[in-house]
Amino acid sequence: MNSRERVLKLFKKEAIDRVPCFSGMGNITETGINKLGYRFAGIHLDAKQMAETAATTYKLFGYECGVVPVDLCVEAEAMGCIINVYPHAEGILYPTIKEKLIHGEDDMDISVPKDLATRGRIPLLKEAIRLLKADIGDNVAVGSYVLGPFTLAGQIMELNDLLKLSFKKADKVAKLLDVMADALVIVAKEYEKAGVDYITVREMGATSDVLSPRVFKNLILPPLQKVIRAISGFSVLHICGKTNDIVTAMMEAGPTAISVEQKNDVAESRKKLGSDALIFGNFDPYNVLVSGTEDLVRSTMRKCIDDGVSAVWPGCDIWPTVPPQNMTAMIDEVKTYGGKK
Amino acid sequence: MADEARKKEIYEKLRTGVIQYDEDACREGAQEAVSEGLDANEAIFDGLVSGMEEVGRLFEAQEYFVPEILMCADALYAGLDILKPHCKQMDLGVKGSVVIGTVEGDVHDIGKNLVKMMFDVAGFTVYDLGRDVPLDKFVDEQLKTDSELVCLSAMMTTSMVGMPKVIEKIKAKNPNCMIMIGGAPTSKELADKWGADGYAEDASNALKEAIKMVAFLKKLRDEKIQKK
Repeated sequence: MNSRERVLKLFKKEAIDRVPCFSGMGNITETGINKLGYRFAGIHLDAKQMAETAATTYKLFGYECGVVPVDLCVEAEAMGCIINVYPHAEGILYPTIKEKLIHGEDDMDISVPKDLATRGRIPLLKEAIRLLKADIGDNVAVGSYVLGPFTLAGQIMELNDLLKLSFKKADKVAKLLDVMADALVIVAKEYEKAGVDYITVREMGATSDVLSPRVFKNLILPPLQKVIRAISGFSVLHICGKTNDIVTAMMEAGPTAISVEQKNDVAESRKKLGSDALIFGNFDPYNVLVSGTEDLVRSTMRKCIDDGVSAVWPGCDIWPTVPPQNMTAMIDEVKTYGGKK
Repeated sequence: MADEARKKEIYEKLRTGVIQYDEDACREGAQEAVSEGLDANEAIFDGLVSGMEEVGRLFEAQEYFVPEILMCADALYAGLDILKPHCKQMDLGVKGSVVIGTVEGDVHDIGKNLVKMMFDVAGFTVYDLGRDVPLDKFVDEQLKTDSELVCLSAMMTTSMVGMPKVIEKIKAKNPNCMIMIGGAPTSKELADKWGADGYAEDASNALKEAIKMVAFLKKLRDEKIQKK
C-alpha cells in the first residue's frame, strides 16, 4: 500500500495498515526551499516553483501528501483585495492582505466577480496542482485548501467590524457570508478540475475561542455547508482553537473528515463522534515540531494516535523552519507506532 | 457635589453600561460624573474598569465571546473619552509609556487594541504602531520615546516567530526596557525562551503583567538612585 492508496482508502473508510501522516494545509520546509535554491517570497507567484517546493516534503521526508498553495490570500486576491507578499523580506513572512475590498458597513453589498475563476492566482494554482500531480501524484494524494466563508469575509473587511456586526446585524453578515460561499465554491471546483484528491476548508476565524457555539450554528454553519456540499471529492473541515463544543456541528457541515488542533481533546471528540468518524489532528506544529526535541515529537505522535486520531495531521501549517530531524522523527514514529496499533 | 448614594448610582451606570455594551449609558454616566463634580479617575476605575473586569469574567465563563468584548470596549471608550480630560495626575503607583504593535506579517489587531485600551485606562502614554509593523520600527520607536515597555502582539503562529529578533535588538540597546509578548500562539515557555519579561494570552492578563513590570522597573531605578 503506498501513501496515496493509504490516504484515499482512509477517506473512503476502507481498511488500512496504519494511520497516515499527512496534512491538508501548507507543509513546505525551508530545507526543501533551500535545496531548490528558491526564495519563500517567490514561490507564491510561480506555479512551477510552488509545485516543486510542495513536492519536496514528500521527496525529502516521505510526508504522505502534496499540498498547494502555501499562503492564505488566494481567494481574497481573486475577489479584488491587494496582497503583500513581502518580496524583500529576508526571512519567512506569509503574504497578507494590504488593501481590503469592503471599508465599512455600507459597502457590504458585494457580488462575486463573473470571471472569478480566471482572476488573481486561481489559474496559477490550477497549473501548480497539475504540475504537482504529474510529479508525485502516483505516490501521494494531492490536496489543496480554500478558506471558510467567515474567514474569507474577515480578510475582505475589517475583522473587528465583521465580529461586531455578527452580533448587531446578523442578517447583513449572513448575506455577505453567502456571497463568500458562492465564491469559494467556484474556487474549489476549479481546483477539482485541476485534479486535487481532497480539499480542506479552513474556517480558522470561526473558532469557538472567538464566537459562541450559538453564533457558529446560526451564522457560520449554513454557508460552510454550502461550500462543503459543493465539493464532489473528499473534503476536510478545519477549525482552530477549542473546538470540543462544536465538533458535532462541524460534522453536520458534511465534510468527509474534520481537522482539529492541539486545543481539542481528541479522546473526548472521539467519544462524542464515535469510532467511525474521521478526525484528523492534532499536534502543535510550532511548539512541538519546530521548537520541540525529537523525543517530544515522538511522544506527541504517540499521544495523537493513542487519543484516537484517524490521521496524524498538524494543527495548522507546518512552519518552514522545522528542523529536518523532527520531520523525520514525526514520520518515523507514525509509521512504527501507528503500524503496531 | 453628589452624595454617596448618587455617586454609587453613577458608577453603577458606567459599570453596567460597559457590561451591557451600551455606549449611550456610558456617555451619559460619564457626563453626569463630570457635571456633578465626581473624581474622574475614580469614575474610570470604579465604573468603567469595574465593568470591564466583569466582562473579563463573563468571557472566561464563556458567556461572552469576542464580538461582545469588542462592543464592551466601544462602550468603555465612549465613557473614557469624556472622563479623560478631567483626570488629575493618575495615582496608580505607576506611570509609564509603552510602545505597542502587531508584528510584521500579521494584520490582526483585535488583541493588541484590547491591551492598548487597558494601558489607556491606566494612564500610560501609548505609542501605537498599528499592525504589520516592521520589526526594526519597534526598536527605533523604543529608542526615540525611551518607553519602559514594549508590547509585541501576534495572532498567527506564522508571524510570531519574528518576536525573538525584536526582543534581542531592544535588549541589546536598552537592557532595562521591559518587553511583553502576547497573542493566541504565545506561551510562558516561549516568553522565557526568547527573553521577554512578560506574557499575556489576553487583554486582562496583559494589564496585570504590565503594571507588575513597570513597578519592578521603578524599584530597580530607585535602588540605583539610592546607591548613588
